[in-house]
Order: sequence, then structure tokens, then C-alpha cells
Amino acid sequence: MSQHDTTDDDDTDLWIGRRDVMKAGAVGAVAAGLGSSLTSLTPLAQAEDGRTDLVEHTGDWRPSTCAGCTSWCAAQVLVDDETDRVLRTRGHEDSRIHGTNDCPRQDLGIQQLYDPDRITQPMRRTNPEKGRDVDPEFEPISWEEAIGEIADRIMELRENGEPETFMVTRGRYTYLRPILYSYLPQIIGSPNNISHSAICAEAEKFGPMYTEGEWSYRQYDVQQSRYVLAWGADPISANRQVSHYSNEFGDLLDRATVAVVEPRLSSTATKSDEWLPVEPGHDGALASAMAHVILRDGLWNREFVGEFEDGENRFVPGERVDPETFEESENSRGVIEWWNEELYDKEPEWAADEAGVPAEQIERVATGFAEAGPNAISWLGGGPCMQVRGSYTAMAIHALNGLVGSVGNRGGTLYAPSTGVEDLPAPDEYVDEVAEAGLDHEKIDQRGRLEFPALKDGESGGGVVTNNAADGILDEDPNEIEVLISYWNNFAFSNPESQRWEEALAEIPFHATIETHASETAWFADVVLPATHHQFERWGQLRSTGAGYRTINLHTPVMADDPDDPEDVLENGRLWDVKTDETEIPYLLAEALADRGFENLLAFFETEYPDPESGRSLREEIPGDDFESRELRAQAFSRNALKLRTRPIWDPDYRENEFDWPGGEEFDDWVEFRERGIWHTDEWEYRHRWPSEGGEFDTDTGVFEFDGETLRNALEGHAERHDTDVDTVLDVCNYQGRVDDPDAPDAFVPHYEEPYDMGDEDDYPFNFVDYKDRLNREGRSANTPWAQEFNDVNPGDEPGKDLAKINPRDADRLGIEDGDEISIRSPVGEIESTAKLWEGVRPGTVAKTWGQGHWAYGRVASDEFGDEARGGSNNVVIGAEYDRLSGSSVFYGDVRVDIETR
Amino acid sequence: MSSESESLDAELETTTLDGEGVDLSMVIDLQRCTGCGACNIGCAQENNLQEGMAYSSRIIETNGEFPNVSYEYTPTLCNQCDDAPCAEGCPTSALHKGKGGITMHDHETCIGCKSCMINCPYDEIHLNEEDPHPTWESEEATIESGTASARAVKDRAGVDDDVDAPAYYNPNREVSETEHPTRYKGIVEKCNFCVHRLERDELPRCVEECPCEARIFGDRNDPDSTVNEVLAKYNPDVLKADEGTEPSVNYVRDYNGGSYERGTGEPGLGD
Repeated sequence: MSQHDTTDDDDTDLWIGRRDVMKAGAVGAVAAGLGSSLTSLTPLAQAEDGRTDLVEHTGDWRPSTCAGCTSWCAAQVLVDDETDRVLRTRGHEDSRIHGTNDCPRQDLGIQQLYDPDRITQPMRRTNPEKGRDVDPEFEPISWEEAIGEIADRIMELRENGEPETFMVTRGRYTYLRPILYSYLPQIIGSPNNISHSAICAEAEKFGPMYTEGEWSYRQYDVQQSRYVLAWGADPISANRQVSHYSNEFGDLLDRATVAVVEPRLSSTATKSDEWLPVEPGHDGALASAMAHVILRDGLWNREFVGEFEDGENRFVPGERVDPETFEESENSRGVIEWWNEELYDKEPEWAADEAGVPAEQIERVATGFAEAGPNAISWLGGGPCMQVRGSYTAMAIHALNGLVGSVGNRGGTLYAPSTGVEDLPAPDEYVDEVAEAGLDHEKIDQRGRLEFPALKDGESGGGVVTNNAADGILDEDPNEIEVLISYWNNFAFSNPESQRWEEALAEIPFHATIETHASETAWFADVVLPATHHQFERWGQLRSTGAGYRTINLHTPVMADDPDDPEDVLENGRLWDVKTDETEIPYLLAEALADRGFENLLAFFETEYPDPESGRSLREEIPGDDFESRELRAQAFSRNALKLRTRPIWDPDYRENEFDWPGGEEFDDWVEFRERGIWHTDEWEYRHRWPSEGGEFDTDTGVFEFDGETLRNALEGHAERHDTDVDTVLDVCNYQGRVDDPDAPDAFVPHYEEPYDMGDEDDYPFNFVDYKDRLNREGRSANTPWAQEFNDVNPGDEPGKDLAKINPRDADRLGIEDGDEISIRSPVGEIESTAKLWEGVRPGTVAKTWGQGHWAYGRVASDEFGDEARGGSNNVVIGAEYDRLSGSSVFYGDVRVDIETR
Repeated sequence: MSSESESLDAELETTTLDGEGVDLSMVIDLQRCTGCGACNIGCAQENNLQEGMAYSSRIIETNGEFPNVSYEYTPTLCNQCDDAPCAEGCPTSALHKGKGGITMHDHETCIGCKSCMINCPYDEIHLNEEDPHPTWESEEATIESGTASARAVKDRAGVDDDVDAPAYYNPNREVSETEHPTRYKGIVEKCNFCVHRLERDELPRCVEECPCEARIFGDRNDPDSTVNEVLAKYNPDVLKADEGTEPSVNYVRDYNGGSYERGTGEPGLGD
């Protein structure tokens, strides 16, 4: 019913009525306005039922953090003074990284908070059958009942002496994560805490790890750079300090050349000087050819790499170099080995044939990049390395930074300065014999087996193989999983070949999930626990990295006037009866387990998590055994955990006497820090890790390695563990590199390997190009109407549609027209989509934005909740393959599909 | 707050509305724009816009053939034309030129005849064919007693049932006598440079929201304004100049700044 229909005008109408009241005032305002400030346009009188000033002037900007991607921007949230309603968000004004600038993803946050499809209270499955086509028939239950059910199941496992059948999966997190992700399973006795990291971008970390010893993402010094060479990275669109890079990009274009290697015209490519539309899977050929050009033409950085003893450049195409003629810099080693084993014959013409990029463009970009060095960035994204053989590509791309001396240098590729946060108190003393026996079991993702080296930090099985956990569950290998707690993830949607997770989840006898929405994963759950929204309703801590700094950013429950008061938070700080996954729920579980006779978890929390300001334990602060008191203690526990985590920052005594303080901003008390919500490190010091400056790289040799010495040690360690040799490891893991085989690339130096096609080229003639939606909040925004309405911010996409972009030449050949309904089929699955003919994709490829294809989650995300998907999910056609050296799932480069009209 | 926004804010506070003396104008620096759409989302939230109705919008074009492809993202909004055909053709003068040169709309005198929509060469005027946000009337839950409903969220968020807005209803437009907070069926609506914000010395939301500082706003008649500085530095352009409407929204530089001859651009405004 319209209150405002002009055809049915009504004097009692709220707004029309108010306007009538204000007319007199309005006339006065215009008259008085002559010659005065714009402010004088302000009506002199306001109706009682309307606002008299902007919320920006009457409300509060309260600090929090956006976890809509791993930029993790420090944020401020505008809370309305009259209703405590969250009205808008922005970057934190005090951030030296991004200031008030935020990317559009953060702006979607309020549509998540106020989403009509949010879960408002715990639910229990009543239908014992599980499946995609099976309605779970959820019914509401109380928190006490829900927590009790989970506790019963955990007790049963421990009583049966099989705690290893318990499992926790994590997706996004805050740095309060150890409580639920690590300590809870540890005290129960399960090694099975499986993170999402290997479906994120672990292969990206492999490059810097096995060149300079950093298993880490980088920050890029764009403010000082003169050349940016981005490899499958789209810094103004997706992931890692998008707010900062977006703000800098216009100036960067004035100062620097920007080149983008990417099979489709990405957001960054649309604005760049050079687009190198590489054939999917061949990025490594370009990297090797560029390194070849840089050495051939004598453009390397002498200070970082070294020089021929007589100054004569012996890097001649097709010829190997006598290592004795070259004097290595004290900063690096192995450039001659790299040349002799890989680069000497990798001429641009060869790479042009492999990668489909003109030789002259390869020459031009390599030359420009090197001449701008050391103020030049080889920017490694996930695209070139989340491929079956991506680890070596990651090394080659990152090694270019070594060649031009931009490692840790001005205008180059930096890491994060150390932060003043403390580890959370750990539970070692609370692990009993039952738990210890359980912890001895192998992990469910099978990491460390011969076929899964997952060489995080140089250690065999050091990293996670997220997606393989589905197979571990299905095969009950190494053991059955009886009880699963999943939180802040949607593995049934976000893992490649996600249909396997649907099967795996259906197999697990008891599954509790903690989420804001009824996701595809929740569809299989036995108990659904509603989660707080991370930016508005909870405590937590993340960090941002950029502009030479790292910041520590707090999540605070912004709708509570006194967030330190648990009562205020529970009463006013949440929209619904929701709780925080990482803290409140483990606490309530600890109480329930203690009720059932297992007190270790509760003793751990009660003893180790007092309020560091008052010294009071949780029970001292809030006594009582009723459930309401427990809920208050759970909230106090959440607050205490954050205070303990950040204590060096706000407690001068602790900072000076108990902690190895790295420098940075200093606060005098908790409230001062909490009200600001952001802390800065000192600024990154250029070149401080260079041995020539008295520093050290974290490789086994202490210097930057072009020869993969640290990788050699890691691979040999893994081979030894399995009583075999490195060649067998590489063969089993689908790599082409070998040790001392003249017909194969060298196993240790950064090198090019041919793509590993997932599907026969005759049956699946197209390469599938997947990339993440610019408005995708890590898979959680598809139910926000703005993400759908404005998804044409992804070049080639159109509002509200899920499109498969095909080059018009291919479409013409196949008789496909713009708007045709098509199917996309791979060896593992098939999805439906709509064809978009677009010149921004390489012929022979189909490009599709990741993020659509939900069949649950909500009414906007799906066509029909629980029944019909909106568009197609890329993960249905992307097979479950791995870059096994890093453990990463494959999303790019190797995925082959066929398309046809429906 | 960014340095650019701070300086534009400071300018706004000292801008005087002196009869015909103020000519509010926006410049969009396309080289700084990254086509992220934050302006559009911010605008929708500030103005409680019904989905599909974007005051702050965009024109997107891809040209050329692979691999020589160019892509242009042009942010658009009402041009607040000096010679506004929408106002000239409005039979009730609901659309009229207001202070600062803003093309204002009076919802009380609008009869929804749509002549402005026909006359606007930029397609920047929108008709409310129904009351906005009908989906927020729904009491239906996806999972009964387990998930919320639109009405329930509005209630929790403290938004009256009879306000045709989402649960994240922004009351800012209530402060202006010239705006209706949510609009209603049968009238048109358009961008007015967020006049409710200007009246309170705040920049239009799209200017404030832009993470790239691509939008510059101020008084064209103030020789010292940043707007004039930018217009003098570059060769400004307007959309559909041949229509002769004298837009107050100018564009400088090129979206695909990287493809331009290097070294011709000046350091950006953020410096």
C-alpha cells in the first residue's frame, strides 16, 4: 500500500505533512541565504518527526575492521545516535595505509548485516537424510540445547577413545582464531583442524619462500615504483589492500609503466600501458624469457646479483656460462646456475610461441621493467601459480625482483614490519592422555604423504591441502570423521569440484556449522549456529599491510555503547540472537563439557584468560551457573582474549617488561586503544634484510637464492621421509622438473613447465578462465542486492547476470550469439550460463567471474533457495587438482572445458 | 579522510551562496577512476534508492578487437546543466534551476508527466512506477523461525513500517526541505548533488565515497577552487557537448590513462 501515491494524496502522510510544516521556514531560509554560507540554506525549523542534522554530524564513527577480503582494511562504522542503526562504513581515518578510502566491498557490509535471510537463532535438522535435494527441515532450538548437543557428541568421541574423529574447518578468521581452530581440537584431542588457506593462494607464497625464505604475501611499494609488472594480479579489484592501491593507481600511471599478464582484460589491465594476454598456463615461459632478456642485455642489478669478474657480459643466448667467471654479490647466489639450467635458451621468440604473446612485447616489457629497477615490481598474483605446476612459476616470477634488486627495496616488493601483538595463552598443560593419543593421528587432508608435499616453510607436510580433506572424509582415510564444527566457511561452494564436499558433508554423522547465512554447507548441517557479523557485532583483530606499514585493526561490537560491558553487547550489540564463532561458542562449549565431566577446556579459559586490566577471572567478574551468566562470561572471554592479544600495544608496563617490543605506536590504556581501534608499526626500512646492509634473508643460505637451494633441502627432506628420491616425488606430483636430467627442467631452479591439462584438448577445446568477482566478499556477498546490481564493475559483466565471456571469433565459429544460453562442461561437471561475446577474452578461452551459482545462502543469491541456482558455480567445472608442492588447489591455467548452446 | 576530501570540504565551508555567484560543479578525473562502483553504491545508500534506480551510474564501452582492446568506464550522474532541458520543459516547474546552479526537483509539484525524461539527453531522470522497496514489506522467511524476514529486520533496525526503505534506511534526506527521503509512486526523481549534504557543508556522497579521489567538487565561479585548478590543468570534456545543455559535470583525462603517451599527465590530485 502506498502512503505516497500522488493519486491518493493524504494530509496525514508522514512526509508530505512534514513538508507543510516546514514551508514557512524554507522561505525564510532562502531570504536569509543571500550572501551567506551554503549552511544558511538549512531550514530554520524542522518537524518533530524528521532529522535536523545529518547522521554524520550526530552519530558516532566507531572503529572496526572489514574482512570482506584479505585487505582487512581498518574501518569506521557510522552508528546512528537515535536508533543505534549502522548507517555506513568507511576506511579508518587514522590509517596511514588507506585513510577513509575503502573499496566497494566494504560498502556491501550493511546489506549483509541487515540481510533478511540472516540466520537469527540456532536451528536443528529434523530430517535425518542429507543431500542437496533433501530439505533439512530445520527447527529452531535454544543456544543451550544446541551447545548441549555438540558437547554430547564430543564427550562420546572422547569416551570411545577416538577424539581424532573430531574436526574443525575454518574459512575467514580473526586473530582470535587459535581458540576455536587450534586450542579446542587440541584439548579434545584431534589433529583435524583444516583451514581454507590452500584454496586461497598458498602457491603465491611458494615463490618468495623458495627465493628469499618468506612464506608470506608481499606488500608493494607503489608510491615509489617506476614499473609495475602484474602477473594474474588485479590490485585495483581483488585482494590485498585494494583500498590503498586503488587510491594510488591514477598517480602510478603518471609515474610508472604498468604491464599486466592475464588471459582476460582485467580491471587493472583496462587501465594499464601493456596487456600481455598470455595463453592460460604459460606464464612461466614469459617469466623465463624476461629473465633471459634482462641477463642477455646486462640489465640486472649488480649490487644485488653480482658481476662478471672482468665486466664482460657472458650471458649469450644459447651458451652456458662458466660460474668461475662471475662474482656473486653477498646478497644472492645462483644466478649462473639459473641461467645455465633454465634461462640460456629461453629467448623471447620461444616464449612467444609458448605463451601467445609477441616477442617484441616480451622484450619491451622486460627491458622497461629492468631499466626501472630497482624501483620495479614483479607482482605475483594467484593466477599464474594456482596451477598444477604453479610453484615453479611463482619462483620464476618472484625471482625477477631479485634480478633487478627490488627485493625489500624502495619502489619494490616489501613485507610487513613486526607487530606488537602477543600470542594468545596456549593450552599445552590442559591436554590430557586421551587427547595426546588422538593428536598423534595423521591429518584428514593427508598432507605430507608422498603425493602431498605441501612444503610450507620448508617442511614436508607443513601446509594444508584444504580440498583433499573431502577425499579424506569420503575414504575414511586416515580415519572417519564423526563430528565436524565448521565456521566462517562454505566448503560445499568454495572448493573446486565442490560436489565432492556435498558428498563428504552428507557422510559426516554430526555436523555443526557457525554462519551468518544458511549456506550450501549449512544445508548439510545437523546444528546451525548463527554467527555475529564480523564488522559490526563482535570482537576480533586483523591487520592491513601497505604504504610501508602494517596496522593492527580491531573488530568491535559497534552497536553497543559500552562494548566492554558484556550485558550491553548482548542486549544491544547484535541484531539477532547470534554469537561469535571463535570465542563465545568455544566458551559455552567448555561449560557444557565441564557439566559432562570434562573440565580441561573450561579450566584453561578460566585460568588463562582473566581480564588483564582488573586481573579478575571470568567467573570472578560474572558469577552464576545459569545459562544467561554463561553467555555473559562468554562475551567477557571474547573481550579478554582480544585484550590479551593486543596487550603490548595498550599496557605500557607489559610492553616494557614482558615483551620484545618491535617499536610502533604506543597507547597508555585499553580504552584509549579500543576507542581508536588501529595501531601502526614503524615504517618498513628499505634493504634492511640485505646481507650487504647487515641483514639476512630467511633462506637456508641466508641470501636470496636463484638456484633453489632451500627448495632442494625441502624436497630432499620430503623424499627422505618417504624413502625415495626427488625425481619420484616430482613424478608422483605431476611436475616436469628432474634432478640432473638434461632433457628435463632442473628440479630446483625457478623454471617453466608446460601446463597440465585437466581434460583432453579434443574433447574440451577451451581453457576456462576463472577470476574472482570484484564485489565478492570471499563468497559471502552474493545475497546482497548491490553485489548483483553493480556487478558490471567486473569488465565484461552486466548487471544482475552471470555471464560466460567468449571471444566473438570463437562464438562465430560455434554459431553462438550474444545472450545465448549455454552449458559449460568439463571432465568433472557441467554448469549453465549465458554467453557474452566480448573482445576482452583471448580466443580459445571462456572467462567467467567466480561468485554466482548459489543454490542456497538466500533469496538473492539463489534463484530459488534450496532448489535452484542463480547462474553457475565455477567450482563445479574446476576439478579437484593440486599444485602439490604448495598444497594449493588449482583454479587457473589447466582447466579445460567445452561449451555448447542449450 | 583523504587529503583531497579534506581540502574540498574546507572549500565547501567557505563557499558562499551569493545569488547567481555560485556555480557548483563536478570534475571526474577518469585516470584516477578505477571503475569500482563505490560511488554508485554510496549514492544508493545515501539516497535510499530502489534497486535499479541509480543517480550515480556509468557508461561502459569495450572497443577494438583482441588483443588491441580498450575499455572505458565513465561514471555518470545528472549533469546539472546550465541550460537544463528537463527544467525548461517541465509544465509545473517541479524541475527548476536552484541555488548553486543545481537542477532541483520539487516532488510536491511533480505530476509525473515524464516530459523531463523525454527531454533529458542523458537519461538521468527516473520515474517511480511504484513505491520504492516493496520487497522490504515482506514478512516471509526463507526458513521459518530460523531466518529473518524483511519486516523483522526493519523492526530490529528501528525503521518504521511505513517508511518505504530498507532496514539500513538513511535518514539524512530528512534534513532538507527540498527532498523527500524515499520518493513515492508517480513522481520522477534525480540526482541533486546531494543537496541535503551540501546544506550541511558536506560533499556529495559520491565524492566522499570515491576511494580513488577521482571526483572533484566545488564552485566554478571561485577562481581559486580546486575544480577550476583541475579544469585549467587538463582539457575538460562533457558528455554530449553537441546537445548544448552546458553540463556542470566535466571529465578530464582518460580512463585508460596507461595507454596515453607517458609523461603527459601531471601528478594527480592526491599528491
